[in-house]
Amino acid sequence: MTQEMQFKKIVAQYCSVKPEDMTNDMRFREDLGLSSLDFMSFLGELEDTFDVELDEQDALKVITIGQALELLEELQ
Amino acid sequence: MREYYPLTAAQKMHHNWIKKYKTQQVSGVSVVASLQSPLDFGLLKKCIQLEFERYGCMRIRFTKPDGNGDVKQYIMKRDTRDIPVKDLSGMSMADADNLMQHWAYETFDGDDIPLCDVTMVKLPEGFNGFFIHMDHRLIDSCGIVVMINDVMQLYTHFRFKSEYPEDLADFEKVLANDLKRANNEKRFAKDKKFWDDQLDALGEPLYSDIQGPSVLEEARKLHGNKNLRAADIELDNLFVEVKDYYLEPGPTQNLIDFCMNHQLSMTNLLLLGIRTYLSKVNNGQEDITIENFISRRSTHDEWTSGGSRTIMFPCRTVISADTEFIAAAYEIQNVQNRIYMHSNYDPALIEEEMRKRYNTPENTTYESCYLTYQPMPVKMDNPHLVNIRQHSKWFANGAATKKMYLTVSHTENGGMNFSYHYQTAHLTEQDMELLYYYMMRILFKGIAEPDMTLGEIMEQV
Repeated sequence: MTQEMQFKKIVAQYCSVKPEDMTNDMRFREDLGLSSLDFMSFLGELEDTFDVELDEQDALKVITIGQALELLEELQ
Repeated sequence: MREYYPLTAAQKMHHNWIKKYKTQQVSGVSVVASLQSPLDFGLLKKCIQLEFERYGCMRIRFTKPDGNGDVKQYIMKRDTRDIPVKDLSGMSMADADNLMQHWAYETFDGDDIPLCDVTMVKLPEGFNGFFIHMDHRLIDSCGIVVMINDVMQLYTHFRFKSEYPEDLADFEKVLANDLKRANNEKRFAKDKKFWDDQLDALGEPLYSDIQGPSVLEEARKLHGNKNLRAADIELDNLFVEVKDYYLEPGPTQNLIDFCMNHQLSMTNLLLLGIRTYLSKVNNGQEDITIENFISRRSTHDEWTSGGSRTIMFPCRTVISADTEFIAAAYEIQNVQNRIYMHSNYDPALIEEEMRKRYNTPENTTYESCYLTYQPMPVKMDNPHLVNIRQHSKWFANGAATKKMYLTVSHTENGGMNFSYHYQTAHLTEQDMELLYYYMMRILFKGIAEPDMTLGEIMEQV
């Protein structure tokens, strides 16, 4: 499984969109319906799964799936 | 072979209150859910019994406490109990509510016993349904709402051939995952650092009371320490009264619109309203801490597994009077977002760290106000029930561990309900009236003129 698919599978646990239907321009809050708590919990799960450390201020600027994937790649 | 698990941080929070206040009553949670319609009680019984199979958290039991009062939990394979029916239909609704209120005061006493009671009820005015009484270590209010909906989906499936509800997540699997996450050393270190950094940056918190600075002054005298920053908690008289205030749909919509337009969450706006009130009545105190409850249900499995996932964390902000209302709201939001990221941490460890650093006396606290914002109403969300009137009501357990605990929820007609639970040992209804009155004045002044400073708002309201 690619990292992108692994990432989308995690996102799918927090919303009702299937991983294969997710596009990189989808916004976590507006399009996927994540609340602040959901989004921050999701970031914590990303840290644990991909063994990265997110800067909270940078992470809060993330709006779309594509931006989150880019941030993840930068940190690895 | 039966598996034994330690308690999660959320369960421990309730367990520690039981230990501290020496009664299980502080951990009771009760609700009635009913429909103004005849019900087939034989079928409803079958659905409730089926729910015991589907919703593992209803079968949790605890072992006998060890020397430290700590317990382990395990999940019974099955619970095939009978579900009784009680007929209250000859009473007035007020009398029926009063009787159920007394059921809510009952305690579950003993080890290795069921901690969940369900009674089917025939209520006045043609309402029929069921009353649930549980221990909060098994379930939180979101979990109860999910359970009520699931029971009614089962009922409408058997009664009207609607679709069988989807399986609920396996409670034991989710529990094991939560415990594994809590034991992740890297995660734990990050969370601990976040909370420790806050204390490093801001130092010891400062108590702020709903009734003003006299409460802290009294504690300072009692402990012979004029620099004390925490005040005593009530341990003996836990009697609680509840005062509800209803905010009409129009003004509620104004608050919602403000949140939408400024990308703020309602929780943060409410926290700002409470903290500004506390600042106003405590001579402009800038350093304010409020305990805020978080439901910790984000994934599908977390939503449908039941269990006790609600946990409280201190929301501490130091905001000066010359800060604009909107800037203060964002400051709170920023703090809360960071707390969410570290909400896997056990809040008992934050308290322990403060006691270690500041020698905080036993049985004292830095907070007088606790908030739960509950966007999820107790409503049976089922297409077969849309045109049927519903009557649901939460019942207080009658024993408050907190001086003032505010639950804010949405009503079916688009309004909001502000439910203040307060310890009668120290507070009166008039205190709650003042708190609600000023909270509303502050919030509506703030959303009308978000550029106004908190100092100006405090002066004008």
